[in-house]
Amino acid sequence: MITFSFDGKAYTAQEGDTLAAALLRNGIGLVGRSFKYHRPRGIMTAGVEEPNALVTVGEGGRAEPNTRATDVFVYDGLVARSQNRWPNLSFDVGSVLGLAAPALSAGFYYKTFFGSAKKWMFYEYFIRKAAGLGNAPTQADPDRFSHRAAFCDVLVVGAGPAGLQAALDAAEAGKRVILVEQDNILGASLIRDPQELDAAWIEATAARIRGAGGRILTRTTASGYWEHDLVTLTQRLSEPGQTPANGVAQRLWHVRAGQVILANGSIERPMAFAHNDRPGVMLSQALRSYVRRFGVVPGKRLVIATNNDDAYKTAQALKDAGAQIVAILDARPAPAGANSGHRVYNDAVPLSTKGARHCLKSVSALVDGKTMEWDADLLAVSGGFTPVVHLHMQAGGTLDWNEDAQAFIPASSRQNVTTIGGAADPQPIFKMVPVSSPNKSFIDFQNDVTLADVDLAWAEGYRSVEHLKRYTTLGMATDQGKLSNMAALGRLAEKQGVAIPEAGLTTFRPPYTPVTMGLIAGAGAKDAGAHVRRLALYDLHAAKNPIWQPLGYWFRPRAYPINGESLAQAALREAKAVRNNVGMTDVSTLAKFEVSGPDAAAFLEIICATTVSQLAVGRGRYTFMLREDGFVFDDGTVWRLDENRYLLTSSTGGADRMATHISYVRQYLCPHLRVSAVNVQEHYAGIAIAGPTAKAVLATLIGEEPPRHMSTVPAVIAGIPVIILAASYSGERAFEIYITASDAATVWAACEGQVMKVGGALYGLEAMEFLRIEKGHLVVGGEVDGRMTPHDLALDKMLNKAGGYIGASGLARPALSEAGRRQLVGLEALEGDIPEGSMLIPSEGASPQGHVSAAAFRIIEGGSVALGQLVDGFSRHGEILIASSPTRGQKARVRVVAPHFYDSAGERYRD
Amino acid sequence: MMLIPCPHCGPRAQSEFIYERTVDSVVPLDAPSQEAMTKLFTRNNPRGVDDEIWRHTYGCRAWMILTRHRVTNEISGCRAIGPEALP
Amino acid sequence: MTEVTITTLPAAPLHVFEIWGNAASVAKRFKAATGFALPATGRSGGNDALRLIRFEPTVWLVEGDISALGDVLADDGALTAISGGVVHMRLSGPGWRTLLMEGGVFDAESPAFAAGCSAATIIDHVNVRLHVVSDDACDAYVPLSFSQGLRHFWKQAAGILAG
Repeated sequence: MITFSFDGKAYTAQEGDTLAAALLRNGIGLVGRSFKYHRPRGIMTAGVEEPNALVTVGEGGRAEPNTRATDVFVYDGLVARSQNRWPNLSFDVGSVLGLAAPALSAGFYYKTFFGSAKKWMFYEYFIRKAAGLGNAPTQADPDRFSHRAAFCDVLVVGAGPAGLQAALDAAEAGKRVILVEQDNILGASLIRDPQELDAAWIEATAARIRGAGGRILTRTTASGYWEHDLVTLTQRLSEPGQTPANGVAQRLWHVRAGQVILANGSIERPMAFAHNDRPGVMLSQALRSYVRRFGVVPGKRLVIATNNDDAYKTAQALKDAGAQIVAILDARPAPAGANSGHRVYNDAVPLSTKGARHCLKSVSALVDGKTMEWDADLLAVSGGFTPVVHLHMQAGGTLDWNEDAQAFIPASSRQNVTTIGGAADPQPIFKMVPVSSPNKSFIDFQNDVTLADVDLAWAEGYRSVEHLKRYTTLGMATDQGKLSNMAALGRLAEKQGVAIPEAGLTTFRPPYTPVTMGLIAGAGAKDAGAHVRRLALYDLHAAKNPIWQPLGYWFRPRAYPINGESLAQAALREAKAVRNNVGMTDVSTLAKFEVSGPDAAAFLEIICATTVSQLAVGRGRYTFMLREDGFVFDDGTVWRLDENRYLLTSSTGGADRMATHISYVRQYLCPHLRVSAVNVQEHYAGIAIAGPTAKAVLATLIGEEPPRHMSTVPAVIAGIPVIILAASYSGERAFEIYITASDAATVWAACEGQVMKVGGALYGLEAMEFLRIEKGHLVVGGEVDGRMTPHDLALDKMLNKAGGYIGASGLARPALSEAGRRQLVGLEALEGDIPEGSMLIPSEGASPQGHVSAAAFRIIEGGSVALGQLVDGFSRHGEILIASSPTRGQKARVRVVAPHFYDSAGERYRD
Repeated sequence: MMLIPCPHCGPRAQSEFIYERTVDSVVPLDAPSQEAMTKLFTRNNPRGVDDEIWRHTYGCRAWMILTRHRVTNEISGCRAIGPEALP
Repeated sequence: MTEVTITTLPAAPLHVFEIWGNAASVAKRFKAATGFALPATGRSGGNDALRLIRFEPTVWLVEGDISALGDVLADDGALTAISGGVVHMRLSGPGWRTLLMEGGVFDAESPAFAAGCSAATIIDHVNVRLHVVSDDACDAYVPLSFSQGLRHFWKQAAGILAG
């Protein structure tokens, strides 16, 4: 026995019940309140198209609002609550809004928006309280979501008779087959109409499909059809609100299919008449499903309104179940087919219903021009059948109009998709026109749109179906108009005096049914959206408990505080250690490329805007790279390791971009060159040792004289081969040591031992920033912001005079050397601290003439200094400006100076 | 997500690829300034078929020219670019 | 119940073998020097002492002893060490194909992707090079910085398969 609760009260259900079936089994007809008018609503369908019976299922982080009671299978302990009612479902204050229905008619929101703002704010308060769906859960979802790819020759969507047969044929022809069914059992229409093919046939067919290697996924909805026959499936591994067996609640499948067969059937249409939304009014096939599949008969006295033959099967099912068939109202003028034995009225079109205490009491109809009325507690309606063409249309398909069925059916497609079964060949119906008052004749039940709203939109001049949709909100609810679109189109066509196909169609967008956001995020819903890139030396850093700083996908130590230091205190101590003694830091994330071959130098002189070929073996130099339009986009160093082998480094943040650029130039522009350019960013871990005693420290480590500034040698530290590059970012004598990453920990430990022995320190990114700003070194993404030319950064003297590098022709444009460009300057504060990111203005209220790209202070002497960009900055040294940050309420008076605050002659690099 | 027929790997998901630019916006290394800027900034952008440069960055890392209809995404050709390679 | 075990293999030499010209001559010299042919794209070749796996048109990944390869390449290509940047993992057990479909976009379930086949693809945002070593195992070459994240992802996913 399964127990569940609805609005706090306990009930029992039977195995296999949907929540809707279980509610009906317990005699619950009133399930929700409508979106705008808070009208009482019951269960109308037995499938995903349900517009009314929306409930919140589950508790805490597992709560799922707006779940269709027809699309959740009851499990023991299920907790469901009704929505959009206050104080409770049967007495709802908001339903008085129904009395003022015209106030919320079509276009209400638009009209109020265009009225006075005051009026909108007045209405908004009440609308937000009154209109709405369930509440989003406030706690994190505890479950996991999986993304999985699958490939097949044939994907079959829908496991009704057509789909099962198609899947069987394909599987037995040796094809890779996937069959998906949104229900939790196979069969679809066969479940409610098992006369010809019964459960045994379904079971045998499924077994044969599986036996031939086919994969059958139930509780799985094909929710989107994308490019090149990619179909996304959303699979429920547990029911809404249920604790999943292995932690995974849902799976999103990406299925790439050779061929897609859509056997997704049709959705029955309601009819438009007054009070057609009352609990007790159900779609005919849905009612038959409740009787035949679930053994639930939700009424005793049934009236059926139909325009087709199918509804007669419902009459038979209900009669078999012991209900009384009061009347069959058949819109067709004359009896069709054999005598059914029921009381049938022809030329009969429903007019209205009456109810009491949220139950149906009676049904009235216009029969042959006369009004008649019957007592009934159940009304089954069948207004025809709408083929499910969503996936076909998402695939870029076209539709044909089937006059007999009054329905659009799939026609051609530019993708490899075909539709079979009921969706391709819907049952014929009699074309009927609503005769009832349009006022309470609902067509979009979920968004409370009536025929009167369509008429109003028409009267106010809305002609296009797209405008009608947005003006009335028809088809814009979570059911996306599955029941309503055809009724609206019919009305619009009637107004326009054209046939329905000429009235146009709105777009069928994915997903077919609502999708949980966590499912789209997949594994990223739990951890980071993307993986954090971990340093080779992560464990060594982590043991020191540093302050971490994200840098792209990387996390790098920002500072290593000791004895309770703040970030600023730690960074200053670390920077002072570099200036006075020695410090070491991890520079592993720098981009690195090993470039080999007889044409390596020629290739590098295309990538780099400086010369390269003049480097002797064992020497290196600073270099920078331009975009094709002449602007600087990265910088780094280039080293000649051997006759035909170079190492190029560039910025961490630009590493992936540089890898792509190098590959493009090599493969696309220069396929003839004899060169191999390999990305070795992660192959080499890098350690920088900097400071006045760095040379002595390194000499001890390698047992030989370290190379002079901008030279490179191979060496051995702690038995591990390394490459030493004598380069300085800090402004001190410094070395970068590159080691195969898997051996880096050993070398780091040896270096750290030696650095600590002489009283040095580890330093992080914050200290590195202080050091480089004081020295006036550039950072890509800071001073190099994509808008600066080599001239603007005072790098022009280093340009390769012979040209031939990427960006040379772009740089030759006259505008790039005209006056008025922003140029790199140094700034020193006259008092206070220079706010980073502030604008540079000559006086209060003046227009900005530049900005501060990076601010720090003199490490030993103190005092705020910064780097910035200033219009014509090179010729303005000595000027006093204001660095102002109005958003932070900070400003400082600054003097424009050369962008070097420390050792501008570079004497400290040299021995 | 498109399915791109990589000349080296066969059909693969678009997420393994990056788009670079159209073939008509390639700037030859020796292009004079005016021509380079025209290539970069004045492009055809047809509503229809165009030749595009893609790279199978997360696959074989090779570059290719894809002939793609920009409305329907129909891919009518894909040819390899780059140095001569063994089969 | 689909079992798969994820192990990290010890660091070992790994090189990029790139040919920039005279490819046919290099292929001839290679065959003469090693006794096996340079494998085609999407295939591996060799033995436990020297194995080449081809993921790219002009590039092979080399496992093992490269001492003979410098002469094979001569002036027509280059060898570059990359072992530090790559973590060599092995997915073993009957579930490896299913595991590779989690967060993936490549058809690892295809029977054509059999022992001796290679493919580079992207799995949960990480670029991964795959090499099928047997019906029961597939090797993955993962960038060092992403290896921790991908191992975590695979362990979680393997737990789901086993459950």
